[in-house]
Amino acid sequence: MIQKDGIATQEMIDSITPSAERRSKGPVAVVECFQSIPCNPCYTSCPRKAMKELIDINDMPQVNTDICNGCGVCISHCPGLAIFVIDETYGDNQCLIKMPYEFTPLPSEGDYVTATDRGGKPVCRGKVVKVVNTPMQDRTPIIHLVVPKEFSMIVRSLNINDIYDDNTYICRCEELTLGELREYIRKGYTTLDEIKRITRAGMGPCQGRTCRQLIMNEIAKLTGVKPQDQLMSTFRPPVKPVKLGFYAQEDTDNE
Amino acid sequence: MNKSASVVIIGGGISGNAIAYELAKRGQKDIVLLEKKFLTAGSTGRCGAGIRMQWGTKLNCIMSKYSVERYEHLNEELDYEHDIEFKQGGYLMCAATSKEMEQFALNVKLQNSLGIPSRMITPQEALEIIPYINTDYMIGGAFCQKDGHLNPFHTTQAFANAAQRLGVCIEKFTTVTGIDVDNGKVIGVQTDKGYIATNVVVDCAGGYSQYIAKMAGIDLPLYSQRHQILVTEPVEPLQGPMFMGFAHNIYCQQSPHGSFIMGRGDDEEPKDGRITSGWTFLEEMAKNCVKLLPLLKDLTVVRQWSGLYNMSPDKQPIYGHAPNVEGFYMASGFSGHGFMFGPVTGVVMAEMILGLSPTVDASQLCFDRFEKGQLFIEPSVV
Ligand SMILES: Cc1cc2nc3c(=O)[nH]c(=O)nc-3n(C[C@H](O)[C@H](O)[C@H](O)COP(=O)(O)OP(=O)(O)OC[C@H]3O[C@@H](n4cnc5c(N)ncnc54)[C@H](O)[C@@H]3O)c2cc1C
Ligand code: SF4
Ligand code: SF4
Repeated sequence: MIQKDGIATQEMIDSITPSAERRSKGPVAVVECFQSIPCNPCYTSCPRKAMKELIDINDMPQVNTDICNGCGVCISHCPGLAIFVIDETYGDNQCLIKMPYEFTPLPSEGDYVTATDRGGKPVCRGKVVKVVNTPMQDRTPIIHLVVPKEFSMIVRSLNINDIYDDNTYICRCEELTLGELREYIRKGYTTLDEIKRITRAGMGPCQGRTCRQLIMNEIAKLTGVKPQDQLMSTFRPPVKPVKLGFYAQEDTDNE
Repeated sequence: MNKSASVVIIGGGISGNAIAYELAKRGQKDIVLLEKKFLTAGSTGRCGAGIRMQWGTKLNCIMSKYSVERYEHLNEELDYEHDIEFKQGGYLMCAATSKEMEQFALNVKLQNSLGIPSRMITPQEALEIIPYINTDYMIGGAFCQKDGHLNPFHTTQAFANAAQRLGVCIEKFTTVTGIDVDNGKVIGVQTDKGYIATNVVVDCAGGYSQYIAKMAGIDLPLYSQRHQILVTEPVEPLQGPMFMGFAHNIYCQQSPHGSFIMGRGDDEEPKDGRITSGWTFLEEMAKNCVKLLPLLKDLTVVRQWSGLYNMSPDKQPIYGHAPNVEGFYMASGFSGHGFMFGPVTGVVMAEMILGLSPTVDASQLCFDRFEKGQLFIEPSVV
């Protein structure tokens, strides 16, 4: 219960979740403020006047999502750390969550962390893409965290330790763990191609669609060579696994 | 990078690494191996990695037998931390014509005389070895249980690691851009990472060896042709041996890891150094495979790729010294079967370079055979 543990119920979350249509259009503020308290910086800080006017200071805030452009100015102004900006258009099946974060140490850009839910339970791996901590934020830094899109309304905090440990499978097809991968990188297999050839990672049925990025990120972490500067292995046909018998069909069979 | 070396080996495939190891093992110091990408980036990392002793000439039988025997103990010999995955599941050579049968009979006789345990088989016996062969297309064949295949990445890495432990310096991501020759002698190698003074260069650049030789002013009668290959998803162990047919134009094996790897040759394949993948290959390969090994029709292809066959006039490697330029050696022109010869290549080349008496006499494969018009004719090549 929110009175006891401070965690909002699903009904409460549903009541403030921006419509799917709005979410598909870009960044938008999600204000998770559910109690009547004498507080209004969200309203006063918004440069676009996207927050409904709080006639009584005890009123609960409401965002007009048509006006809000997700700029995030309100995030650091909220003393309750109740405001988030979510952007489901961030990338392929990815979502960017801008969240207030007042713990130390702060994560750094590029870090992989454990994305957690409102209660602090681990949800998934998240990547920190930006840490905003200027005098403007007044000691309430904003972390930009990228997580799979389906967690846009679930992930609300983070633990700076990576959710992946040495036993985590990086390549499920060929059963390569992160610990093994790190060992290979330390031994001098520092390109995706070398890792692939020596461990078979990426040669399985998925042909590296899952592990390729993970491996390149890990190489980046241990060698300092950014993924975009690393050598990419060649993409080979077929794009999807297809049965030999299919290719062997005489053309007449297809007609 | 080293400013000078006693020997510079160009190419980080099976040949270069085996030669580096064998030289170092024989006491040679200051060896540098240069590879423009990573180890096995060339044909070695793209090959079927099959090894057979079923050849039709005495020398090829001896060289492949020597290599098989070395591969059998290579993990221990090189103290390799992983496994080169040598699986001796055999090679089943399928004869489609009576001419092929006659050749196989001659080969088997020769092989047996050299201690290679091959035998002729009937279609019925073939079915006992691979139960799903469509025998409508075979009149008989030959089989040798001691043939098989390896993991080319690990095999090369095993030689590389052992060579490095013996002091060989391996420079990856270093491209040779020129070879300096003075008064008919090699004096140095230019690379994109600097210059190395040396009097001995070993050209093991696979599909690029003719270009390396050209840098020293040497014309090698070689060209490189694309060869394509594909791999399926891994399945339970089904097939022990490599299935191979010259007339049927197929080789098909199951790796210890479960995936099937298969390829075929095609005279129409480009000779311009391209290593792309084509649609025609996939279709022809699938038709051929499903016709001869019908059970495999449900296997799922996950990837196809290609590599270069470095072709010589008689489809046999060229070992040894180049004409006219002192200090220039080559192990090239493998014509599609250089992986299996890795161990023998290492030994033959190391002994030639150091002037030691040969363990295996491969002088028939020296460059002067072209000048003398003594081509080495092997009847059993793909
Ligand atoms: C599809 C296919 C299937 C095959 N199947 C088999 C088989 O089943 N059994 C078998 O025995 N053989 C097979 N082969 C042949 C075999 O792959 C080769 O003969 C063998 O790998 C040659 O090894 P190598 O070390 O001489 O050359 P490569 O492995 O080609 O190595 C040459 C290296 O030189 C490097 N290099 C090139 N230019 C430069 C430069 N300027 N500077 C520095 N480095 C350079 C390249 O990057 C490359 O790594 C097959 C080949 C192909 C393409
Ligand atoms: S994100 Fe920006 S526009 Fe939206 S409510 Fe907050 S301050 Fe206003
Ligand atoms: S500033 Fe934060 S805590 Fe205060 S009313 Fe607005 S959302 Fe609620």
